[in-house]
Amino acid sequence: MALSAQAYRELAAIVGERYISSKQHILAGNRVRTPEIPFDYHSADAILLPGSTEEVAAIVKVCNKYGICFVPFISGTLPDAYANRAGTVLIHLKRMNRILEINEEDRYAVVEPGVRHVQLYPEVRKRGLSYTAASVGPGGSVLANFTSTSGDHHTQYGSSRSNRYLLAVEMVTPEGEIIRTGSLQGGCGWFCPDGPGPSLRSIIKGYFGSHGQLGIITKAAVALDACKGPAEIRTEGVSPHHRVYFDSDLSRVYVFNYDNIQNVCQAMLALGEAEVCSTVQKYFYLPLTLLMSDSANDFWKKWTSGYKEAMSMPLVVHIAAQSVREREYEEKILFDVVRETGGKRLPEELENWWTEHMDYFMVVSRLQSVLRLGGGWMPIKLGADSVQHICDVGESIGEYIYEFTETGKIFDAPENYQIIPMEYGHFAHIELLFMWDRTNPAAMKGVAEFRARSREEDLRRHFHAEDVGCLNPTLLQLGPLYSNCHIWMQKIKESFDPNNVANPML
Amino acid sequence: MLYPENTRQLEAIIQKARETKTPLVAVSSRGPHLHGASENPNAETVDFSRMNRIIKIDRRSRYVRVEPGVTFDMLIPEVRAAGMRLNIPFLPRAGKSVVASALEREAVLIPKYQYDYTDPLLTVEAVFGTGDAFRTGSAAGPGTPEETRADMVVPWGPGCIDYLRFFSGAQGTMGFVTWATLKTEVLPALTKLYFVQAESAEKLTRLASILLKRRIPDECVILSRADFAGAFAMSAEEEEKLLKALAPWTMICRVSGFDRYPEERVSIYEGYLKDECAQAGLEAVTELGGLPGLAEKVESMIADCDRRETYWKMRRGGVRQIDMLAPPSRAPRLIEILENLRCPGDFGITVQPQVQGMAFRIECSVYFSGAPEEAGQVDKALEDAARELYEAGAYFDRPYGSLSKLAYAADPVSTEAMRKLKKIFDPDNILNPGKLCF
Repeated sequence: MALSAQAYRELAAIVGERYISSKQHILAGNRVRTPEIPFDYHSADAILLPGSTEEVAAIVKVCNKYGICFVPFISGTLPDAYANRAGTVLIHLKRMNRILEINEEDRYAVVEPGVRHVQLYPEVRKRGLSYTAASVGPGGSVLANFTSTSGDHHTQYGSSRSNRYLLAVEMVTPEGEIIRTGSLQGGCGWFCPDGPGPSLRSIIKGYFGSHGQLGIITKAAVALDACKGPAEIRTEGVSPHHRVYFDSDLSRVYVFNYDNIQNVCQAMLALGEAEVCSTVQKYFYLPLTLLMSDSANDFWKKWTSGYKEAMSMPLVVHIAAQSVREREYEEKILFDVVRETGGKRLPEELENWWTEHMDYFMVVSRLQSVLRLGGGWMPIKLGADSVQHICDVGESIGEYIYEFTETGKIFDAPENYQIIPMEYGHFAHIELLFMWDRTNPAAMKGVAEFRARSREEDLRRHFHAEDVGCLNPTLLQLGPLYSNCHIWMQKIKESFDPNNVANPML
Repeated sequence: MLYPENTRQLEAIIQKARETKTPLVAVSSRGPHLHGASENPNAETVDFSRMNRIIKIDRRSRYVRVEPGVTFDMLIPEVRAAGMRLNIPFLPRAGKSVVASALEREAVLIPKYQYDYTDPLLTVEAVFGTGDAFRTGSAAGPGTPEETRADMVVPWGPGCIDYLRFFSGAQGTMGFVTWATLKTEVLPALTKLYFVQAESAEKLTRLASILLKRRIPDECVILSRADFAGAFAMSAEEEEKLLKALAPWTMICRVSGFDRYPEERVSIYEGYLKDECAQAGLEAVTELGGLPGLAEKVESMIADCDRRETYWKMRRGGVRQIDMLAPPSRAPRLIEILENLRCPGDFGITVQPQVQGMAFRIECSVYFSGAPEEAGQVDKALEDAARELYEAGAYFDRPYGSLSKLAYAADPVSTEAMRKLKKIFDPDNILNPGKLCF
């Protein structure tokens, strides 16, 4: 369904002709562009670029008036950010790209959706502050990472997931009302996400965000932490062959390899109890080898010449202390724990890669190189619970993945999952990343089989290996196993979006 | 009074109340009830004192799971025996429900362990006003709590809704909680207590902000002279002595070492503490005058609830409180307004850094005889102060009584959105009606 001329005119009157288009070549550039998605996506009927919250609210009201569906769009890294049916407009928020405030004393920043990590991170870093920039690379939207995606980050061991750092927000509801949460609702600024009383923050983000189903977030405050590492960062070379160094006696990176995930678990818990180290993470070896490679050929050379074995289960540790004495104290505990748990330090040439790529511990600037092989890739599980539970989930992968890796259905990297603890080992997050040959038409069948098998194995074991998402067919399928949350989500959606125009997926 | 013993009974109670349109209010702490959230003259009381099981204490993953009838005096020794500690409020009532305290977002003593305002509350099972039971976060599933192999500790979700935040601060208007999982921390192997005294609260709030940004202290609380004396004196005579000996404001803070090299950690962190104090023109000391053995007494008391026969805030007979949140930049002005409070009785101010120093919970308690005529005057004085505080930027995030009008007035559209949610989870408005904006 194309937009009616009247609806188009009303939308154009809000943003101006310059910021609306239904031209096919413009729309074509804004269709889902993840090639491994095995189904057709619709084209949006129009794309709009509002410049303010008020414009977003006015657009949403017109959408309700004419029954037009809308999808908010900013980074476009998730399939949910695209039109999934006819009669949809994309509301692209990239013009709303202002850093509205950086409050050093009260430690928060207020941003619009179009602000990228590459904009905000350097600004806060030079003020001696930092934030949990999700591992999406410098082009990711700060606001989307805090409100809409999982927002997990390599350094959340010594801090936490982005959920903890999302403060007050401003949101346009699916009916076009502007609401505010926490202290902003109370007329008291941006510093607090909660209250008055129970929190409207509850509908902004749960484990994941609602992907626009409950509204469009137009401003958000994110909490800022003390910067872990020097404010001055030395760089060499030109991307993607650049190097990023912390020239500081307070910063050290160590990487140890393990042959047993339960020993990794023990190490994570012991370090957490001692409250030492800034980053502790079991990383995945396939992306790591890709990060270390300059080309696909270089990757294959490394992967088949010992990298796979040397880094089969790497525990990456970054110490970012406040004094040399503290660093030495933390190192002493780290080496004790590693000795007790059977870790082996990586060879120097592999470990040194980390100290030359300290961007990994800030905003990962080389992330796209993990796509270098050109194949399909998919992260699954993505759940979180205690470190012990998540390591049990990781351990169980070996009980079924070989059927797929040894038959070539997916890339032969059976230990390719990462576990990132949070809050000094109170929780942990898991991501199982698998890749496949996208040029093989039969591969999608194997991919679907593996995905289904992974879920089936976790459900059979009653593992909380994944959480459920927004209101979509998967939620209807899994909701009955998760406290019937699909029923409550449907009720909330119906109440806030009676015309079902906000990114409907059912 | 209704006394459920398990979730099934509570579901039946709420379903019956829906049929008969009977309002319900939950109570889980022993008295005195200071804020009135659990008192509702129009409602039947659901008393959770029989749901008082400590369901689980898990040392490895550092959490406890308890029913709402579990009180601080019950839980603190059990957690300590397991080698852990709770992140507790400052000298809570012995009979205060641990779950209620966390649900009410009461300020905790160790802000470095607090990553957001709901911390240390992790997950809950609750029964909505519809009569349906629900579990939040990673407790949601897959499967029942008996089936799941998860530790049920992750607070977010399930799905794209943060259900925990419906119950937090809700004064029992969204659902009644039947158990909660709370974060615990390792018991330190070594601690060292410090006092920092100052003429103005501002000097100490600024210091606390810096210390917490660097996550230096464990416990950290700032007390006015009256609250320090009232909290730690065992008699009126001791209180008098302390009032004479203390500076107007005292910060109590403690650094800790854990099982591995505890002396070294304490030494490093006390060095940081002293350096920051020196830069602020203050001094961190390990002893205070006024009473013999005061430091030891303070150190032992802050790790526990108030086990005295009369709760310290009730020592004059009556107490009225007002509390608010403020970001660091706004806290000094709000404290100044409170220092100029004019009302019967005397008052104390407790200022607690929260969420790693990103905000302060400022609580003013007026201590008076408890006589009704005085109570009226105190209430009036606090209502007047509340308006002035609100104008100066005080955030009444957990508004009790008349404060809710102020708190919800700023943004009627958002308040209406909150009412939509209430209607989903309590369609007949039977849970604690008349509180908040419902």
